[in-house]
Formats: sequence, C-alpha cells, structure tokens
Amino acid sequence: MDKVSAIFQKELRGFLINPNFFMVCGLCTVIMSWIYPIQLNIFAQELQNYVYQTQIPKQQLNIHYAVFLRHLSYLNLMLILVVPALSMRLFSEERKMRTFDLLLTSPVTSAQIVIGKYLALMVAILVIIGLAFLYPAFTSIFAKVNWLILGIAFLGIFLVSAVYAGMNLFCSSLTESAIVSYVMAVIFNVAIWFVGIGGEIVDSPLARKIFEHISLSQHLSSLVEGTIRTGTLVFFATLVFLFGFLSERVVESSRWR
Amino acid sequence: MIEVSSLTKKYGEIHAIEALSFSVKKGEVVGFLGPNGAGKSTTMKIITGYMAPTSGYARVSGYDVFEDPLEVKKRIGYLPETPPLYNDMYVQDYLRYVAQLKGVEKSKLTSSVDMALEKTNLTEVRHRLIQNLSKGFRQRVGIAQALVSDPEVLILDEPTVGLDPKQVSEIRDLIKELRGKHTIILSTHILPEVQAVCERIIIINKGKIVAEDSLQNLSALKSGAQKINLRIKNPQDDLVRVLSGLKGVMKVHSGATQNNWTLDTEKQDEVIESIAKEVMIRGYGLLEISSAKADLEDVFLKLTYGEETKEVVHG
Repeated sequence: MDKVSAIFQKELRGFLINPNFFMVCGLCTVIMSWIYPIQLNIFAQELQNYVYQTQIPKQQLNIHYAVFLRHLSYLNLMLILVVPALSMRLFSEERKMRTFDLLLTSPVTSAQIVIGKYLALMVAILVIIGLAFLYPAFTSIFAKVNWLILGIAFLGIFLVSAVYAGMNLFCSSLTESAIVSYVMAVIFNVAIWFVGIGGEIVDSPLARKIFEHISLSQHLSSLVEGTIRTGTLVFFATLVFLFGFLSERVVESSRWR
Repeated sequence: MIEVSSLTKKYGEIHAIEALSFSVKKGEVVGFLGPNGAGKSTTMKIITGYMAPTSGYARVSGYDVFEDPLEVKKRIGYLPETPPLYNDMYVQDYLRYVAQLKGVEKSKLTSSVDMALEKTNLTEVRHRLIQNLSKGFRQRVGIAQALVSDPEVLILDEPTVGLDPKQVSEIRDLIKELRGKHTIILSTHILPEVQAVCERIIIINKGKIVAEDSLQNLSALKSGAQKINLRIKNPQDDLVRVLSGLKGVMKVHSGATQNNWTLDTEKQDEVIESIAKEVMIRGYGLLEISSAKADLEDVFLKLTYGEETKEVVHG
C-alpha cells in the first residue's frame, strides 16, 4: 500500500507541477464559460416564450434537461479528448525515458504500478469535473437546483471518465510514443460510444438485450436522469477492472518478453 | 550470494547469452567484461529480475529471480545503462521516491537519502531539477539511486560512462569503499576500471564466458609470449624483414611513428639480446628497447576478438 501511495503521489505531483495540466484546465474552462451562459440564456428565453407557445415539450422547460445535461454532454466531449492527453505520458514516457527499468527492478508488483497511476489520473480528471461542477453550482444562486439529481448526473460522467481513464492508461502502456498513445486513446474513447449501435441491426431479442447492456450511452442516460441502477455500477466497474487488468498484463509482459 | 546456472536468453533465434554459469560470494567485487553486444546487460537484467531467462536460473541470496522477484528486488540496487531519471523531479525528491519504491521504512527515508547524496557527492545539487544536470551529475544520481536503499547487492551497468577523469576516480574510490559491505557486479568495457576495482573478472563474449578468474591469473594467461617495444633513430626499408627473420620473433608491428615498433616474441632473454645486436649492426640507431608486460588488454583482445582482429587494432 505504501508503494501504491508512493507512485500515486509521484504521478499526482507530476500533474500538478506540469504547466500543461493547468493549461488544459484553463482551456476547458474557456470553452465551458463560453457555452454555458449561452445555454442558460436560451433556456431563459424559452421560459419567457412558453407563455405564448404551448407546443414546447415539457422537458425543455426543466433546467436539468435544458442546461445541465447539455453542459454535461459538452464536458463529456472534452473528456474524450482531454483524458488521453493526461494519460498519454503515464506509461509511454516511462518506456521512452527508460525509467520503466526502475519500476520493474523495484520490489513493486505490476498491479501496484497500475493502481498508483490510475488513481493519480482519476484525481486529475476529478479536478476537471470539479471545475465543470462550478457552473451548475453557481447557477443555484438564481435558480432552483435539484442537487441530488445533479450529483447523480455528475457521478455518471465521473464513471464514464473512469472508463476512459482505464482504457487510456491501457493505450499508454502499449506504446513508447505519447502521440500514438493519444491517438489510440481518442479512438478508444469514441469507439466505445458506438458499441451499442449493434443493437439496431440484430433481430434476436437476446442479442439486442446484450447490446443494450454493453451500450455506454444506455447506462449513462439512466444516470443523468437521476437513476442509479446496480447493473450500471457493475457495468462501469467491470470495464474499469477489465482495462486495469489488461494494463497490468502489459506491464507484467515486459518482464518476460 | 549470487548464483547463476546455465542461464540462457534468446531473442527469437538470436542467443543473447548461452549457458552462463558463475557465482559471486558475499562482499566480492566482480567485473563483467566484454565487447559491446556480448550479453553483459542482458545477464545483469536477468539477475535484477527485470526480465526472465529462457532457461537456467539465477539466485540472489537463495531467492530465484523468476520465482521470487520481489524478494530479489528488495536486495538489489541497479544502475541500468541509461540512468532511470525523471527529468521533472528534484534530485532529493527523486531519491526519496526511489527509496519508497524500494521499501525503505518511513522513519529512515530522510537519512537514506542523505546517505546516498553524501556518498555520491551530490549534496550541493539536491535541490536542482534533474533535467538541468550535466551528464556526469546525472550518472551520479543514477548511482545514488542504486545505493539509496542500502542494498546487499549492487549491479552497476557501466557506472563511469560519461564522467570526467576526476569523477571516474571518485566513483572508483566509492566502489572500493563499498567493497566488503556490498556484493558488487559491475560491467564495463573500460579495462583500467576493472583493474582498479575488481577482485575477480568474468570475460564474456558472444553470450559465453570465455574466462573467469582473478586479475593476476588472467594477466599471467599470456605467459610464453612477450611484447618488446623498440625505438630507433634511422628506420630502413628492410627493417621488418630483418627483424622478422630473427629466431624467436613472431611478429613485427609498426607503432605510432616510423621510429616506434612493437614485436611479439617468445619469452626468452636471448631474444631481446639478439634484437639489440641486430639493430646495432644494421645501424638503425637504437634509442630504446624494453619489454612490455602483457596486460589485461591483451588478454581481453585475445579472448574476445582473437588474434586476427588485433592486427587491425594495432595496424
């Protein structure tokens, strides 16, 4: 456990003393600060128009749907591109700078290495999600916010980013080049959204059920609407574990390759 | 302490090392000598538990490096060919991190870092970023990194590469100082280094051990032949022919200038005498004649490259 925390602290310090991380955070807030007020404005106009137009669907009159969920979907888009940027150096750079030799000749297990790095990555992601949370939090000054549902929606995006982190760490462990790792990670992050699409072309109900269960968007959409299902939690945990396990195997493989 | 038996490592079809067997006693300093690509680094990597052998085994303190890698790694300090340094860390933080990884107790962290800094003379740069250090300092941080957990076994892969002569001698002194307390294996292709610090030498070539002995015994290997250095004033065209024709002279090599020559001869005093006589008679103008001791370099070249390659080296 001491060793996991040593690796965790070292990696976390690596993020925090690295100006790139703050630049990424800064740029994310620029984008969010541009889009969020506009969304809020549109929502306010729609509320005014409601008096004259009755056809507007009820959902659009709810701030959770009309503003927060859109905010989350932009955040998700950013995470698809940002998490690979954070994760790419974690293993690739170790390989390139030959510091991997140090880790592999120290009395630490491959699992400890992966867990330490994964936790540090999750903290860095949490910082970005935390920044995004500030926007709805400050909206509460002049609008009524349902905190619990908002919290669950953010939990949803956090779980999705945990899956990204697992996949992207795995990508980083595969290659010496940070660029290759980045591109591969983005492709993974995008691809996982399209797994569920298979459900539209299969006929058998069982196959469709399976596709629905492995579809990330299905699970996320239930979470952002405020429903926590055990199946969903198990699904996310499985994915994180799967990619964590794969990364551990890749690290371990350098011992016998 | 370290026991290696019929160790083999294949990269695909290529044998990096083949059936290596040797053992190192506690407190011994062993030099691993060989040309580039001989398999020195591979052997060291296997002993550190970094990679697994294809067959055979290696044991450190009785623990098999493949079965009990964690126990082995606790006892080993390893300096790879490229020091494993994080450019964005401070020297002190880096050593602390390594100490934590090696499982040094929390209460002893600071003192072990100080000890390693002191032994490698790095105290003055402890607050500097590693990326701003010169190559010599980086190499020393690499050595400090291997020392920081005070391991029983030190494995140093070319520890003095990139250091200036003063630093080289400092590192040699450090290794001498560590002798006895730690078991040390160091690899190098710099011969004076081995002569300076090692008690025992293992010469390895193309993945196989070609000689394993103490320094004295290895130097004596070349007995039966000797080398004569000759310096003359007026070299003439027939010199090589004349000297080669003498009894007991095996080979004549040209030296750095027209006036310097080296002769391989049988080990007899009469040979020197007859060479001197001949040089006088022919009027070459004898300035100096001396017998050079067969040194480790000769043994090394003979064992690894063979006689033909040596011609090229000297010619």
